Amino acid sequence: MKKVLSLALGVFTAIGGFIDIGDLVTDALIGARFGLALVWVTVVAVIGVALYSEMAGRVAVVTRRTVFDLIRERMGARVGLATVVVSYLVNAIALVAELCGIALAIELLTDVHYLLWVPPVAFLAWLVVWRVPFAHMERAYGLAGVALFVFVVAVWHLGPDWGRMAHDVTHPELPYGEGLPTYFFYALVMLGAQMTPYEVFFFSSAAVEHHWRAKNLTEVRMNCWVGYPIGGILAIGIQVVAYQVLQPAGIQVEHLSQTVLPVVLALGKVGFALAILGIVAAVFGSTLETLLSSSYTVAHHFGWTWGKAARPADASRFHTLVLITLLAAVAVALTTVNPITITIYAVYLGAAVLPVTYLPILVIANDRRYLGERVNGRLANAVGFVYLLIVLAGALAALPLLIATKAGL
Amino acid sequence: MTDLLDAGLELLDRQVLDSRGTPLGKVDDLLFTEADANGPPALTALLIGQRAFGARLGGRLGQWWTRLAERLSGRQGPFEVPVAAIDEIGTVVRLSSPAEAFPRLTAPERWLRRNVVSRLPGAFRESD
Repeated sequence: MKKVLSLALGVFTAIGGFIDIGDLVTDALIGARFGLALVWVTVVAVIGVALYSEMAGRVAVVTRRTVFDLIRERMGARVGLATVVVSYLVNAIALVAELCGIALAIELLTDVHYLLWVPPVAFLAWLVVWRVPFAHMERAYGLAGVALFVFVVAVWHLGPDWGRMAHDVTHPELPYGEGLPTYFFYALVMLGAQMTPYEVFFFSSAAVEHHWRAKNLTEVRMNCWVGYPIGGILAIGIQVVAYQVLQPAGIQVEHLSQTVLPVVLALGKVGFALAILGIVAAVFGSTLETLLSSSYTVAHHFGWTWGKAARPADASRFHTLVLITLLAAVAVALTTVNPITITIYAVYLGAAVLPVTYLPILVIANDRRYLGERVNGRLANAVGFVYLLIVLAGALAALPLLIATKAGL
Repeated sequence: MTDLLDAGLELLDRQVLDSRGTPLGKVDDLLFTEADANGPPALTALLIGQRAFGARLGGRLGQWWTRLAERLSGRQGPFEVPVAAIDEIGTVVRLSSPAEAFPRLTAPERWLRRNVVSRLPGAFRESD
């Protein structure tokens, strides 16, 4: 029974970890603009992130080595450093977006300007990293994040036309007035939002923080192959309600309130309350994950003591970096930078660094000196290789698409 | 340990732990010396720390990195861990003594503990 409970809790944390501000914004934005024409990207992304998280998690439980350890070991000092710098920046920019995201969600509830909520939310995040045990932290935001299922419930309440929806998903079509480059730009944004590199770093670091061993492989696999797909269903739910409500009304998503609008229309005040609860919980979870991941990557690259299991005094470099990162993110957020714009850029940069983070994972997951009998099977290698090509193509196309579409305008 | 060891692949950039499992850094570079004029160069020490890492990076960035690290630490040259201090080489490099035996390696960690982290309440309490 205890085992079942622990597995279920793990799945919840994976759901909470999958949905972040990038998903909430891009899913609604894309649903409103392209209808269901990009749902296939979510399916592709969920399989990819589950596959690589499972590999990274397996390596972490068997050898206690995390992704950035491996990147440095396999790619050398220069490429390793470049990857760390870019990943750190991606995580830090994402952290700014997540902080603004929670603050915006609280603004919807309280009518107090979001910038006033940024410092207290950041302080709370620091307090959690400083004091709260890792497992408690994950469970709290994982369980509360389940409230996001209102988006899926709302799909039914809005009277869906299943036949037409199935047709739209399987026969993606460009809406009138949209160009093909813009379509692919947003496909890449969605891929970046859902295959965020921090999910894989965080998952492999979390396996070490949980003190998981080889016997915990079931937990790793459940989290990846059940948790992420459920997160994917939530993401598709957000796209579908935007397609049902926002697209016919011609509403462009420029604010978090528009993500919530369809739920309010379908389920009223209760829906609104649950949606805000779910958003705050899931985005607070992502705030912690991006904050920790940014410092994990640097600590793993240089081989410092890291993590929440040690006393802060014993991991002083790690905790100093957490503090500096958080203060910098708050400072950037307070410049009144547009949170939606910064979210899109964070997601986009993320897509560009995926190949360098995935390649070492695939290589190590095949190395018998590390994993013994637990190396990848043929299927995992074949699919893993296809995904490596996908993310490589995405990274190469990223800059030309950004310029050609003027960032999706 | 009669097998061949590819130092570039199996030693360079590996995690270094002390005898109790505390992380001390990465193998940032390797020091080889020639015992006599005719013999092959032999591995004498692991180089650890930002000064060694700067040298590894090479180029202008590497020079700049090394100079910054020298200024911050007030010392010249990288920290050397003699080969004799290595206990085991596997997926990590384990040393045979505890961290206290390498005070220069733990200096940045101790400086930040004293000047930043320990000033915040709860720094010495475990959260688990």
